[in-house]
This record gives sequence, C-alpha cells and structure tokens, in this order.
Amino acid sequence: MSELLHVLVGQLARLGLNYSFLLESHASGKLLDGALTTLWLCLWSIVGSLLVGVLLAAAVTSARRWLQWPARAFIEVTRNTPTLVQLYCAFLVLNMLINQSLGNANPMTPFAWVVLVISLHKGAFHAEALRAGIEAVPAVTLEAASSLAFSRRQQLFQVQLPLAVRFALPALVNNLIDLVKMTAVASAIAVNDITYASIMIWTQGDNVIELMILILAFYGLLSFAVNCAGRAVEARLRMPGYGN
Amino acid sequence: MPSEPLIQLRDVHLAFADNPVLRGIDLDVHKGQAVSIIGPSGSGKSTILRCLTGLLRPQLGSIRIGQTQVDQLRGEAELIALRKQVGFVFQQYNLFPHLSVLENLLIAPTKVLGRNRNEAREQALALLDKVRLGHKAAAFPGELSGGQQQRVAIARALAMRPELILFDEVTSALDPEMVGEVLAVIRELTEEGMTCVLVTHEMRFAEEISDQVYFTEHGRIVEHGSAAQIFGDPVHERTRTFLQHALGQGGQRPSRPAPDVYRNLGRYSLSV
Amino acid sequence: MATEHLATLWHWAPTLGMGLLQNIQMSVGAIGLGTLLGLLVGLLLLSPLAPVRALARLWVQVFRNAPWLVLIYFTSYVFPFDIQVGSTWVAFPDWLKVTVGLALPASANVAEIFRGAVASIPATQWEAARSLAFSRGQILRSIILPQCLRRMLPPWMNLYAVVTMGTALASLVGVHDLIDSAQIAANTVNRSGFTVLVYFSVLALFFAYCYPIARLTQRLERRYAF
Repeated sequence: MSELLHVLVGQLARLGLNYSFLLESHASGKLLDGALTTLWLCLWSIVGSLLVGVLLAAAVTSARRWLQWPARAFIEVTRNTPTLVQLYCAFLVLNMLINQSLGNANPMTPFAWVVLVISLHKGAFHAEALRAGIEAVPAVTLEAASSLAFSRRQQLFQVQLPLAVRFALPALVNNLIDLVKMTAVASAIAVNDITYASIMIWTQGDNVIELMILILAFYGLLSFAVNCAGRAVEARLRMPGYGN
Repeated sequence: MPSEPLIQLRDVHLAFADNPVLRGIDLDVHKGQAVSIIGPSGSGKSTILRCLTGLLRPQLGSIRIGQTQVDQLRGEAELIALRKQVGFVFQQYNLFPHLSVLENLLIAPTKVLGRNRNEAREQALALLDKVRLGHKAAAFPGELSGGQQQRVAIARALAMRPELILFDEVTSALDPEMVGEVLAVIRELTEEGMTCVLVTHEMRFAEEISDQVYFTEHGRIVEHGSAAQIFGDPVHERTRTFLQHALGQGGQRPSRPAPDVYRNLGRYSLSV
Repeated sequence: MATEHLATLWHWAPTLGMGLLQNIQMSVGAIGLGTLLGLLVGLLLLSPLAPVRALARLWVQVFRNAPWLVLIYFTSYVFPFDIQVGSTWVAFPDWLKVTVGLALPASANVAEIFRGAVASIPATQWEAARSLAFSRGQILRSIILPQCLRRMLPPWMNLYAVVTMGTALASLVGVHDLIDSAQIAANTVNRSGFTVLVYFSVLALFFAYCYPIARLTQRLERRYAF
C-alpha cells in the first residue's frame, strides 16, 4: 500500500505536482481524518435532510392552514438566505443561548450543528421537489383510483405518493449532490472536515494546487457515488414508457 | 319494461359555480341494458356519468342505483360501497403508470375488496385473455398503445365484478385504427348481458349495440328511445341535425393527446 | 433592554450597510464575469471541433461539481497580492479574488444554462433555417440565440441570487463584508441580546435582497412557460 503510494507520488512529481506531503504520516493522517468526517457529515445530512423534506412537504401540502403557512415561510427563508449565515445563527447564536442556560450540559457539538443546519436547508429544497411531484400527479389518475373505490388513504399511499416520489426523484438526487458540496461549509466553524484539514496543511506548505486537485477529486468522487445511488433507485422505480 | 329500473335519475341539476351543466335530467337504465348517451360536446354527457359514480354531487334531484340513493350518500365509506358496484372507464384510460398491467388489475380487488391474491390473479389473467391482452400482463401501461391501455382499463373495471359499467368517451383519445379493438370488447360485454352506460361519439356503434339512446343538449334530454327510433326516425329537429352532422363525420372526433405525466421538476437545486 | 440593543444596532448600521454593499459589489462582479466566461464556454460546448467541446465540458464539470467555498479558498491563496500590468503593479485585493472565485462556478452554471436553452429549441428550427441556406453561425446568431435569451433569463436570475448568497463565504477569507462586520459588531458589543439581533439582521438583509429576485424569477418563469 505505502509502496504503491510512493510510486504514485513519484509519477506525479514528474508531472510537476508535489504530493510528497502524502508520505508524511502527520499530513496524510489529517487528510484521512478529514475525509472520514466529510463522509459522516454527508451520510447524516442526507438522512436528516430527507426526513425534514418529507415532513415539510407534508406540512406544505396539508389542508391545515396553521401547518401550511409556517412551513411555507420556513422554506422561503431557508431557500433565500446563505447557509453560512444560517450556520452562524445556529452555532454562534442558538448555541450561545443554549450554553448560557445549560452550561456544560449542552449536547450540541459543532458537527451536530452542521448536520442540523444542512438537513434543514436541503430539507427545504427536498420539500419543494416533493410538493411539485405531488402536484404533478394528474387529477384524473386520482379520479380513477377513487372510481375503483379506493379510500383517501389508499389513494395517497397506493397512487399519489408512489407517483410523486418518482416525479421528484431527479430533483432529489440533484439536491443530494449539492448537499455533498455544501458540507464544505463545516470548515467555517472548525469542524475538521476535508476542507478544514486541507487549509491546515496548505497554510504550512506550498501545495495549494496539489491539495486543491486532491479535495476536488474527493468531492467529485462523493458526488459521483451519490449520483450512482440515485440512478440505481431511479432505475428500480422506473415506469417503462414514461420519461427517459 | 315492467321491472324496476336499475338506475333511475329524476330531475338532476348540477352547476359549476354559475354555469349550469345539467338542467333536469331524467334517465332510466334496466338491468342488462346497454344505454348510450349522445349529443354535442359540452352538453353534460360526461357529467351525468360522474354523478352516477359519486365523483360529482348534483345540487338537485335524485339518483338511485339499485337500492342506493346516490345523491344522499354521505361520507367516504358510503361512496366506496357504491363504487364497488359501479365500474368506470375513462377517456384517458388513467391506468396507474407505476404498476404493471397485472398489478393494475390486482390492486383494487386485493386492497379494496380484500380478495385472496391468488384468486384475484387467476381472475385478472382470465380478464386479460378476454380483452386479448394475456401476453401483456407483465408490461407497463407506458409501453402499450392507446387501444391496448383502454382494453386494460376495461379489464381493470371488470376485475371489481361490478353490477354495471360506465364508459366515458372511451374511444375519443384513440387513433382511428385502435377504435375497433376497444369497441369489440364493449360489444362482447353487452352481449353477455352486462349493464352498460356509454357516452360516445361513435354513432354507428351506439346504433348497433344500444337498447336505449338518449340525446342530450345544453344539459337537458332532448329525446330518448330505442336505437332504431332515434337513429331512424328522430322526433326532434335538433336530434336530426346533430345526427346528420355526426354521421357525416363518421362519428370521429379529433383525438386529444394523452396528458404527459412526466414533467421536468425542481431545476433549481443549487444553493450555497 | 430591547430598545437599547436596537439603538446599538442603529449605531452599527453604517458599518453593516458598507458590508452589504461589499457583498453586492462582489455579486455583481461575479455574475458579470461569470456570464461572459460562461457564454464563451457555452459557445465552445457547441463547437464542431471535438477537442474544443471536450475542454469546455471539462471546465463545466470541474467548476459545477466543486464546492464554492473550496474555489474561494483556492483563488484567495493562489493569486498574488498584486499583479504586474505593463510596468505598474496593480493591487489584487481579497474581494476581487473572491469575485473571481465566485465567477468560476457561475461561469460553469451559465454555460449549462446556455446549453440547456439551446437544446430546448426544437431541432426543426435548425432544419428550417438550414433549408433557407443559413450557415451554422448565422443560424446560431439570428435564429437560435434570440430565442434562447428569453429562456435563459429565469435560471440566470436564480443563479444571480445564489451568487449573492455565495458572497457570504467571502468573510472566511478576510473580506470586510456584511458577515464580517456583524462578527466585529457582535464581538465589540459583547452582549448576547445584541448578538442575537445582529445575526438575525444579517439573515433578514440577505432575505430582503434575494427573496424579491426569487419571486420575480417565478413570475417570469410562469410568463415564459414553454
């Protein structure tokens, strides 16, 4: 393994790229830690955002106005403000308030705040995709279900939701790919993700270009993995004869 | 006919907002009859069918099917009880695109009627054979032609073993060469004694299979009678001119394209 | 208590306002530069030469899939403090580096929007123009592009809103923008009530700037629905 790395670093050096820092255990250990942290950030936020998305979509399409209106407002505010500012409002403001009232008992770590903020942020985007999917289900298809004596519940779970998820899926996958990139914002509050680890290394050395290529490749790989997973789900739920 | 009619409409009125669609409809259908409703577009024909199955509720008048007073039904459970007995076939087929043909036929009998799945499956396959689509059981609706989809839709309605079936312009969205295969299936059903109510623009077909024909215009029944009487010797001038036009055009209306269910959603996923 | 904080906020308002102007300046610069670059890359995507197309596609792929924050770090660390133009040295301030850093992903998205708009013009338009003996360049210029511009407007406006929100990241590389000003204000005043107020004011300011753009985008979309 380490021999392979040596050979690789040597080959890259010929291209004028100095990756010798990968051979130092300190730097490579830091990067590996960062990569793992980013991976966990992505996994937790993907699960969290999907959960938030479903709940928000349910609220926004519900007939109850007291549920619909706040959900709508939350989605609009979330979509139209920077994630970094949201993160600050959470980590610098809410966290401060929690600290003041709970002291050391505050269970929220910076990592948890990032997961929470990204989940809420991307959840708002998921909710929009799901809402559009629900609205795209033709009224006549629901009429058909109701003429077959389906109850409201059966219509929702047998026809409306299965179709809505299929319509929303491409947008959901795009959202999740964007979510992967968004986790870089964690470095702003010193969560030791791959971006933060890279900054730590390049402020000490002169490897900015090399590090940049490395972490862009890493994010590219993660996006690619999410994309593949999304395509696999789309293929499973494909409705032959519709769409592409 | 001395026996009590299976369907009886008396003075049914319905308006959408300020726009009156039905202005006093009287209609009788006896068990085993095939009854056609003809008339110009927008005369309220499809609305009558939607009232029969409780998708729309008239503001005035009475609708009775068997022992059920449809206009009096309150709540979902009572409507479901009605719809178990009344099949409905739509102009746009309205199959469930995410389910295979076989699943389309199975979902209502198993989930709604709670029938045994194996038994329902046997019946579904038999019905698919009956509409000559036994080989398409595993296909998805999107892979079938319009005519094939419509035949599946008829089989889907039959799978509920309804007492009567309503056909709402079931050939209007089809290419001309597919109309015949669908009409053949309906003809067979009427010959077997299934009670059928059809809204149709296929005048020759209506003349051939109907026991009774109703001509509607502007939300009223202009006249009704046996197929031979309406088509051979209509009483009203309006009926005569309509039939001249309709028969002259071969009973075909320009077909509408099926609604495209797939749309491009959520193009904006980007955020920072 | 609350009025006291409001008074303090009023005291800091000019600083925050200057910060916001800095954000707007960067957003306008980035979308301008990004649009120019993006249209160029978009045209290259349509090039008849395969290697040119491949290069353009690489540009789009790399900068669309990179986290914006990473690109901003990149331009901030890689570019020098000043650059030589002729015989004079011109300063290359941090905010300009961030503007370039935002222009890179913006350009990739503009190129993609452009490609999408061209693809949305039915092929029959190309055929009709070709049958009238137009050249490829002529078809693009006088038939396709005029139809594209209208379709590009809503997604382009959405992109501008995103770029504006992206300028929030500038505070992380030391630009004195709205968020940086808010941080300074919060640390100087050092009262938790004021901290709450100032950060939520920043949120409100961004919302006040971006939400109208989003609404206008939706209206245009509905009007131009095709």
